[in-house]
Amino acid sequence: MLESIRKRARTGKVTLDLPAGDLPTPFRGMPVIADAFRSANVAEECSRVCATEAIDPEKKTIDLGRCVFCGLCEEACDGEGIRFSQDPRLPCGKREHLVLGGREFPTVKAAPDLRSLLGRSLHLREVSAGGCNGCDLEAQALGNPIFDLQRFGIDFVASPRHADGLLVTGPVSKNMREALVKTYEAIAEPRIVIAIGACAASGGIFRGSYAVENGVGAVLPVALFIPGCPPHPLTLLYGILGFLGRSPEKNPRR
Amino acid sequence: MHCVHTFELGKSAPRTEEAFRAFLRETSGGNNRLLALFAEEYSSGRFLLHAVAGGSVPGRFVHACVETSPRSFRTFTDVCPGAHLFEREIYDLFGLVPEGHPELNPLRFHEGWPKRSFPLRSVGAPAPDARRGYRFLQVRGEGIHEVAVGPVHAGVIEPGHFRFSCAGETIQNLEIRLGYQHKGIESLFPGSPGMGRILLSESISGDTAVGHSTACARLLEAITGNPADPSAERWRAVALEIERISNHCGDLGGLSTDIGYLFGAAHFGRLRGAALNLLLKITGNRFGRGLNRIGGIGPRVPGIAQEELIAALGSLRAEVESVGATMLDAPSVVARMEGTGRLLSRTAATLQFVGMAARASGRDVDARRDFPSPAYVEAPPAKVLLDAGDVMARAGVRVMEMRASFDWLPGVLTGAIPPGTIATEGNAPAAGRRLIVSVEEGWRGEIVHAAIVDDESRITRFKVVDPSFRNWPGLLFAVQKNVISDFPVCNKSFNLSYSGADL
Ligand code: SF4
Repeated sequence: MLESIRKRARTGKVTLDLPAGDLPTPFRGMPVIADAFRSANVAEECSRVCATEAIDPEKKTIDLGRCVFCGLCEEACDGEGIRFSQDPRLPCGKREHLVLGGREFPTVKAAPDLRSLLGRSLHLREVSAGGCNGCDLEAQALGNPIFDLQRFGIDFVASPRHADGLLVTGPVSKNMREALVKTYEAIAEPRIVIAIGACAASGGIFRGSYAVENGVGAVLPVALFIPGCPPHPLTLLYGILGFLGRSPEKNPRR
Repeated sequence: MHCVHTFELGKSAPRTEEAFRAFLRETSGGNNRLLALFAEEYSSGRFLLHAVAGGSVPGRFVHACVETSPRSFRTFTDVCPGAHLFEREIYDLFGLVPEGHPELNPLRFHEGWPKRSFPLRSVGAPAPDARRGYRFLQVRGEGIHEVAVGPVHAGVIEPGHFRFSCAGETIQNLEIRLGYQHKGIESLFPGSPGMGRILLSESISGDTAVGHSTACARLLEAITGNPADPSAERWRAVALEIERISNHCGDLGGLSTDIGYLFGAAHFGRLRGAALNLLLKITGNRFGRGLNRIGGIGPRVPGIAQEELIAALGSLRAEVESVGATMLDAPSVVARMEGTGRLLSRTAATLQFVGMAARASGRDVDARRDFPSPAYVEAPPAKVLLDAGDVMARAGVRVMEMRASFDWLPGVLTGAIPPGTIATEGNAPAAGRRLIVSVEEGWRGEIVHAAIVDDESRITRFKVVDPSFRNWPGLLFAVQKNVISDFPVCNKSFNLSYSGADL
């Protein structure tokens, strides 16, 4: 007992203040698209190595809803077309917000009526629908003392009856489809769905398998997509706070 | 290499059914174990069953195959209990019925699937479909009641359905229905471009991205004749041990949560994060995604200087040791974990359980010794073995294994390790029909990847075995006669992957 109290005193505060800044290299965060990417062969070079078909060499776009942040495109073009920054803030929002074409930095749009609806609290039921458990672990990590999701009035709950919405991971396996829909239906209206990770947005690396639905959007109306494979806990935090209209640049507690 | 083996299929004729049965019988003894049992449609409508085993002699793999009728084969579970789940899987994927199987419940497919659809079978299945709805074992008797949990559980965790039959608070029987996470991953390997396979392997079980991608990379390297250089192999081993440490910390935190020991939950949750952040500094991702390439490791790996990593591991070690000692000494922790969820060593041996859970039940199996990869050949981390088989032992094994890894890591990190070179993917030489097997000890236990390639070195069948697939039945035995309120802590003490088992 004494030892635990001593340890607590020695450890002090470990919770991260927001905004937390860039992560260390070689972390692959927000991709930066250079002008060279718009030249025909560079985008072509990048798309050739992309196993998830996230890069469209015609339209010269990169779809973060498919991208698993493997970094192969950056290596293929030697960083001349696409370079990954260490910024964990990724564009989140509707599915189409995840497709990047230029250097602009689309930020999360706050859902207009959520504030009046939820006040300052949000309770989520998490469902893993065919994921690999990577996204689930990062969602779980939000509860640890470092990210401390609860300080923002946001928490995971055991029953959908207690929830304002769903946090879904995975491409939606056919075997989880029914359970996912039933969990959604058990939540009182109005309810929101947040889909996290490349699988939940598009099927990710499993897209096209006989056993999956290629993303949550095929089954439920999704209000917020957060890209990544898996998204870093900070990416999740920024995404959810931004969606609630609580930008970390201002005081997120309000 | 001791961890990868190639069998020339042209040189070994299929055995008779009796010889194949004898082969499987021999796999159930001592350290010898069945690593994988799987079917292959080798030409339209013609099927082979393949078995790969080994373990008693370091680096020695054995293989046997048998031709089976397109309808069914006689079950091998009676001579090799470890074959039980593999046969159910073969039925779901290929429509080959294991006649006489003790419990042919669907494993991969649930009620909503169309009849007669067997995804790895090209020609129609023989009518009629022997598949029926899932039947749970029913316990009858006075005062027996059932408790059904899942597939969606209370925590932030993967789905599975647990059906308890209890007398009062005591669990008489537990049945676990899995398959909810099935995403057909084996079917995606053959058609995927080279690096796509590495990305797939990183997503077999997200918490074991390093273990699976390392096993997969070595297998692809054996096919393309393009092995990684020793420095790359050293970085792979470093990442594997840090992956082990991060997950063991996470599990000790999870165990603490389940027994209401908040000190352990908070500290181990934080220390798990510290270990993941080291993986991020090495590979660019908290789970070690991006570590592996075919023929080496990623060109940006490692993103941290060796001295900095050694120092960081030193301070992490000090914290893990002190929190671990405080936890395992706390009377409230010991009272909940000692004697709870006991898995007998006899059961662990008969059912051929693997990895950390088996080592907590006195079963001396560890792929780092039995199938050592290059960095482990000379001196792997110290052996850890306990025999109580209870939750306390599984917690203790984790603490001791972390100590062994912390002891071992500075040695492998000392002296120059240039970042491994990464060769180009290489063009696979044409070399006849082959079966390549690759094994690595992930943090839960041994990971097995196997691939069959045709005359032109194209992959035609890919098989993945996560240690969870082999260990799930262990939980069923461990919880019997325990009170149902101890189930969460028993479950966490195994912490098996649903995704890895469901594929
Ligand atoms: S980082 Fe994303 S876009 Fe680039 S190759 Fe990998 S999956 Fe494709």
